[in-house]
Amino acid sequence: MSALKRKRGGKGPGGKAKKVKLVENGNKPQTTEMEQNKEITVPPPVSMGKWRNKERVLVFSSRGINFRTRHLMQDLRTMMPHTKADTKMDRKDKLFVINEVCEIKNCNKCLFFEAKKKQDLYMWVANVPHGPSAKFLVQNVHTLAELKMTGNCLKGSRPLLSFDPQFDTEPHYALLKELFIQTFSTPQYHPRSQPFVDHVFTFTITDNRIWFRNYQIIEEDASMVEIGPRFVLNLIKIFQGSFGGPTLFENPHFESPNTHRRVIRMATASRLREKQMVKELQKLKRTENKEAVTRDVTDDVFATPAEERPVHIELEAPAAKVVKKNKHKAFKRQRKQNR
Amino acid sequence: MILVNNTMDINEDDEQLGETSEEDDSELSDGELQDAFAKGLLKPGLNFTTQEPKKIVNNVEGLKQCLADFRKNTLPWVERLDMVNLPADDIVAKSEGRLDNKASGDLNPDDDFQREMFFYRQAQAAVLEAMPRLLKLKIATKRPEDYFAEMAKSDQQMQKIRKKLIMKQTMMEKSEKAKKLREQRKYGKKVQVEVIQKRQKEKKAMMYAVKKYQKGMTDKLDFLEGDQKTAKGGAPAKGGSGKTAGGQTPDKKAMNKKGPNAKRKYKDQRFGFGGKKSGTKWNTKDSHNDVSGFRAKEAKRDLEEKEEGAPPKEGLNDRARMHARR
Repeated sequence: MSALKRKRGGKGPGGKAKKVKLVENGNKPQTTEMEQNKEITVPPPVSMGKWRNKERVLVFSSRGINFRTRHLMQDLRTMMPHTKADTKMDRKDKLFVINEVCEIKNCNKCLFFEAKKKQDLYMWVANVPHGPSAKFLVQNVHTLAELKMTGNCLKGSRPLLSFDPQFDTEPHYALLKELFIQTFSTPQYHPRSQPFVDHVFTFTITDNRIWFRNYQIIEEDASMVEIGPRFVLNLIKIFQGSFGGPTLFENPHFESPNTHRRVIRMATASRLREKQMVKELQKLKRTENKEAVTRDVTDDVFATPAEERPVHIELEAPAAKVVKKNKHKAFKRQRKQNR
Repeated sequence: MILVNNTMDINEDDEQLGETSEEDDSELSDGELQDAFAKGLLKPGLNFTTQEPKKIVNNVEGLKQCLADFRKNTLPWVERLDMVNLPADDIVAKSEGRLDNKASGDLNPDDDFQREMFFYRQAQAAVLEAMPRLLKLKIATKRPEDYFAEMAKSDQQMQKIRKKLIMKQTMMEKSEKAKKLREQRKYGKKVQVEVIQKRQKEKKAMMYAVKKYQKGMTDKLDFLEGDQKTAKGGAPAKGGSGKTAGGQTPDKKAMNKKGPNAKRKYKDQRFGFGGKKSGTKWNTKDSHNDVSGFRAKEAKRDLEEKEEGAPPKEGLNDRARMHARR
């Protein structure tokens, strides 16, 4: 929360520039040095305008989140200047308490992160007073700080939102699209926003999940680098009210993480059991009494049907063959015989 | 017939018509069953309970209604900046002749590279479409060079990223170099081995030819000439080109023909081929008749020196002369 209170309504044409500096001075003192050293000509925004679209998003979480979720929340607050933060909510409280928290903070959208079992992360996106809300399971979280995300953008610059055409096909996707647009797009002339559009949020539907990516626009010919964060949303349910109300849509492809883990465990268990069974069977086979087979099945394999020759017993030894190669041997044997 | 067991939530207001009037089957008593049979709800045969297939909520009407209520129709596009687009053309796949499947439905989510490229191209298409619209609305996408403002990632972070990239690059280069060096060494070794083998073969052939001549099997000395012919034929043919196929210059060949150098020869003479030379006779008839050590220039010089100096005594004239001549 900034210590300085900003007046509602814009100042003069130079006011916007000064405002930017003031805010920076208030929040982040280390950058001002850099700014003062160089000759700064902060151009006034292209068209000075009044901030009309009053969207405010409350980003907060329950207890028991891990470092990755915390960083993800911080990154979302960095990317979206129209967000506010709040303290962690106790798990004891019911979800509709969140509506009251949002009212106190004067926010009309909410991004609530819920961590269960220190493993699973759920995200609620809700339009707070009356509107719809949706619950997602968040997977594959990568934050801004990862070294593979090499892009960078202005803090608080307005994003371009890009959606898959699949979002227009189904009614539940259409509703989600509207929710995302209203939550993620930075209002024009927001006091903390920068007037340039230099990054793109993409939402794509693949494998019955929504994939979120954030790219920096480097050149006008659309060469891009990923800034991050990135995550995957798996829709669970859409409710008509905010954090409650009748269910409008339930995702048939959703498998809860508990079920998923159970399935994996059962698969390994069944594999092991099968192996054991096979082993036991083999043991049994070895130890069981084997019956003596009286007739050999393979007896008549070599029985060739041919006429029998009379048995001829030779009484005289056969004549020794002379091997021409070893002449001497033959001679020797013959010599011995003849002796 | 199948008795349906419904375990519905209390929130659900739908009523199950017809099939069962009782809600928990397990507590059906005999009396109740008999009553049901009498009423005609149960038929004879084996009845067993099953779960009703779970109903998945998809309230299309409700969704549409909600969307209609929720949508902010007063917001112009510039406030939202949303686009719906298919991914841009995949140049690589097209050049390879592969079918580019544009729909995200055919995307295989397990193929990481393909998936990420799909997202990238979707973003590209969005940017390409949005640029002209933004220009019309006079919203800049390029920030000017002197515009310094806080970035989403701090300078420190960018430094880290840059360092990592550079490190990766250098490591790759190093490994490439190491591989090349290894290859070169292997190749060099191979060539060296080949050359040595060739030389040994030649030597062997030469020795064989010499042996044959010694044993008197061939009376022609054409093996020597053969060498010379190739050397001579090789040298003028290649002229000043330099290296021959064997990897030797013509000069080197000539030198090799002369055999080992003088030092080697002297040492061979003194120490080589067994036996002491020291105890042998050394002023024999043959050694006396051997005039190979005579150098005409030196002899002349000695003679002149001798003449410059005191003329030798008469008695020694003959010997001196002989020495001088020698």
